[in-house]
Amino acid sequence: MDFTKLTINQLRQGLIDKKFTATDIVQFFLERIKTIDPQIKAFITITDKLALKQAKNIDERIKNGEPLGELAGSVMAVKDIFLTKDIETTASSQVLKGYIPKYSSTVYQKLIDQDAICIGKTNTDPFAFGGSTENSGFFTTKNPYDLTRIPGGSSGGSAAALAAGFCTFALGTDTGGSIRLPASLCGVSGLKPTYGLNSRYGITAMASSFDCPGVFGNFIEDIATLTNITAGQDLHDATSSTNPIPDYQSLLDKVDLKGLKIGLPKEYFTDDINPEVKDSVMAAAKEFEKRGAKLINVSLPNTNLGIAVYYILVPSEISANMARYDGIRFGQSLPDAPDIISYYMATRGKFMEPEVKRRIMIGTYALSSGYYDAYYTKAAKVRTLIKKEFTDVLSQVDVILAPVSSTTAWKIGEKVNDPLKMYLVDAYTVCINVAGVPSIALPCGFDSQNLPIGFQLIGNFFEESKILSIAHQYQQIADFHLQKPKI
Amino acid sequence: MKITPIIGLEVHVELKTKSKMFCGCNAEHFHVGPNTHTCPVCLGLPGALPVPNITACQWCIKLGLALGCTPNKTSFFERKNYFYPDLAKGYQLTQLEKPFVVNGKITVDGQEIRINRAHMEEDTGKSVHISENGEDLTLIDYNRCGVPLVEIVSEPDITSPQMAKNYLLKLQQIIRYLGISDADIEKGSMRCEPTVNLKIEEDGKEFFTPLAEIKNVASLTGVLNAIQFEIDRQTEEFTKTHQEKSKTNKTTRGWDAVKNQTFLQREKEGSSDYRYFPEPDIPHITFTDDQIAEIKKSIPELPDEKVARYKKDFGLNDYDANLIAQDITFAASFDKAVGQKPDPKMAKFAANLFIGSLKTQLNETQEEINIEKINPEFFQNLFDSVSKSEISVTVAKQVIIESYQTGKDPVEIAKDKGLIQVSDSGEIEKIAQKIISENPKAVADYKKNPMSIGFLIGQLMKASGGSANPSLAKEILEKLLKKI
Repeated sequence: MDFTKLTINQLRQGLIDKKFTATDIVQFFLERIKTIDPQIKAFITITDKLALKQAKNIDERIKNGEPLGELAGSVMAVKDIFLTKDIETTASSQVLKGYIPKYSSTVYQKLIDQDAICIGKTNTDPFAFGGSTENSGFFTTKNPYDLTRIPGGSSGGSAAALAAGFCTFALGTDTGGSIRLPASLCGVSGLKPTYGLNSRYGITAMASSFDCPGVFGNFIEDIATLTNITAGQDLHDATSSTNPIPDYQSLLDKVDLKGLKIGLPKEYFTDDINPEVKDSVMAAAKEFEKRGAKLINVSLPNTNLGIAVYYILVPSEISANMARYDGIRFGQSLPDAPDIISYYMATRGKFMEPEVKRRIMIGTYALSSGYYDAYYTKAAKVRTLIKKEFTDVLSQVDVILAPVSSTTAWKIGEKVNDPLKMYLVDAYTVCINVAGVPSIALPCGFDSQNLPIGFQLIGNFFEESKILSIAHQYQQIADFHLQKPKI
Repeated sequence: MKITPIIGLEVHVELKTKSKMFCGCNAEHFHVGPNTHTCPVCLGLPGALPVPNITACQWCIKLGLALGCTPNKTSFFERKNYFYPDLAKGYQLTQLEKPFVVNGKITVDGQEIRINRAHMEEDTGKSVHISENGEDLTLIDYNRCGVPLVEIVSEPDITSPQMAKNYLLKLQQIIRYLGISDADIEKGSMRCEPTVNLKIEEDGKEFFTPLAEIKNVASLTGVLNAIQFEIDRQTEEFTKTHQEKSKTNKTTRGWDAVKNQTFLQREKEGSSDYRYFPEPDIPHITFTDDQIAEIKKSIPELPDEKVARYKKDFGLNDYDANLIAQDITFAASFDKAVGQKPDPKMAKFAANLFIGSLKTQLNETQEEINIEKINPEFFQNLFDSVSKSEISVTVAKQVIIESYQTGKDPVEIAKDKGLIQVSDSGEIEKIAQKIISENPKAVADYKKNPMSIGFLIGQLMKASGGSANPSLAKEILEKLLKKI
């Protein structure tokens, strides 16, 4: 049986109906990983023993008629910045290599508690700093649709693992597009929730006021199921939302496409965008129009400031968040140093990747006395403007529809030596993070080279149920999400 | 040359909340096994996030209100970035732009000292330097890391080392009244960093010497000596160099308590850049007017108010009033003894017992007063007996100690011991006659010098076992002696 084609609910039902066992599922995925992942390189750590142990435990419980979690039978791949107790967590950086956490991140633990099976930890740009996985301290992950291309990033390992059929769903984080971009470039779906919906506790911090943990799935239905589990207040995260969590699954058919107002921001449909991408995204919009939705031209005039704001505020937070990686309590270090400052410099100098250092430098500069007001304070003010712009537009339309990336997956090495070019890959995603609103990316076509194209639906704060419902209905119309790479 | 010291104090106070500032760990760190009160948050592990301790925030506001500060309705935390092994995260959470409370003042030695602010922050871990097998090692204990600290920053209104010491004592007293910290300087739960410079007037011109911040002062005497040393040093330095303060020449000096001198630690304080920015992991904290009012209500009567009340309502002198109000438990015991609306005479009488008797006794045995052992009824009984001259003040002072120790009614104790004062003149006259006949020399002395009657009164009191009413005894003796 091809377990890559089943939804979370179908896998669970199959177990209950004894059509297959959890061990069958895990063995199926492990076999695929064993044969195919050496080409893709999605995983840093494969937790085969843990997965088989979890599967055995589930199978025992089925045999004994004991209760099962919501996710029994589903296999997950976890971005390696989520702390997993007793399982090495590297954040894809040499500076954290060898670190075995003593505790697990909240989101991961909530999924494990519902019997999700952890099959491995996936590659990312170090500490999620990047858009292609090429900055990883270990290796670059390949796009399953074309092994000479990047999968997008930073959660590229997770997106590639799901696209390659190594798991049922995957965990990622989205600080400036790190779920939506790789989802779009690998032909899977991914949700960047409202800031604060999912707890950040136990995830190595990139930019604390931006980071959003979220999930990748083959089906929007799966993403709804998972978000029901991951969302909610966490007493360990003071920024986590106290809002009640609706039942996303039961609301999937709720939104009526007829009369739905869909905003198309002109700043996201300029000539900078690849025509094939633009056509596919517009085609998706037309599908909604055919079913009674109204396409309305809107404007988000400060969109062009998004990257600038992002690359001041995010590195500022990064410069402080990275300070704890000093080699004293965890990770790798160079122990022979004459004094403590030399020790820090040697350890951080040797084990931090160039992009990590670059962002620490930018942030340290932006926060320095004499520059703080010109950079940080100003950027924080523009952030407020961008946030207002989104809430204003979203008071006129129900949802905003936009491309995720101006191009499909690019060649490995094409942009890696040009940091500015690389920073611009997030041009269509960062503003959503700057504002903090939710957005879901899902496949809507392929270009002439058979590379996936995606689009995103952006909602107002905590309107996950609305964008999930619209995306779900799109997946009833289109079948791009059912297509898989030939590997 | 006229020299005026300009002294400002930064005081750190460790709050005695149950848990740490940003995690649930036990905040106790004295005599605790190293690194036993730690968790991912205070160890600064990857992925750990701070969650503010609301009790600590409330206590900071409470202290601010007690210091006459105004609360900021919305406050937030900032990250102060610097590298040090005992600072687990590589930054300290503190408050710069919007501290919980600002602009207060307290009165010390009759002079107002303005408080710039009181803000909340977290303590660091402790580096322990040891030598093992000939190797110098530094071990880090994170038990103290994340313990809540309030920093109280004064304006530079202090003009002498003694005033600095008294300012600290006043702060300590208020903090202990609020019950939010032990504020023990020797144990480190209260730490002080004076910043000192001088205003020098010479030939009709004013000069200001460069600022020096003094670190590592670990006792009250240290504060006194360090500031005095710095005043002398800066005076000497100015005489030699005539260097004046500038934006960049503030220095940090350490205090060496053994050599009794300060030494240069860091020059150009202005050049260190902590790159403060708002802590993104913690939302802004807002207290409503009602919440502030609630905190205000929880503030007990403060020392200044107490002293004023004792003076005004009971007619106590300044010294006595301050002596009673010094320690909150002692003052509360006194308040308990005299009851809600005491007769001023009774209160003054009780004050006399508290200061003249109980306090001396407690000081001798180095005990803290136990308020549970104070019975207002006993004080009332004693006062009534003294008023009726049944018991002398001297006896009252004796029996109140026994009463405190045993829980017995002091009047009963006096009775049991036969210390009830005899005011029966017939009885006293009998004893007086006996004393006169037994002491012819003293009688002769009296005839020469009437002031020497004291000896005979003493003998009479002794013979009566202290129970005779002394004024009556004197009166009767005088009457009998006249007849001789």
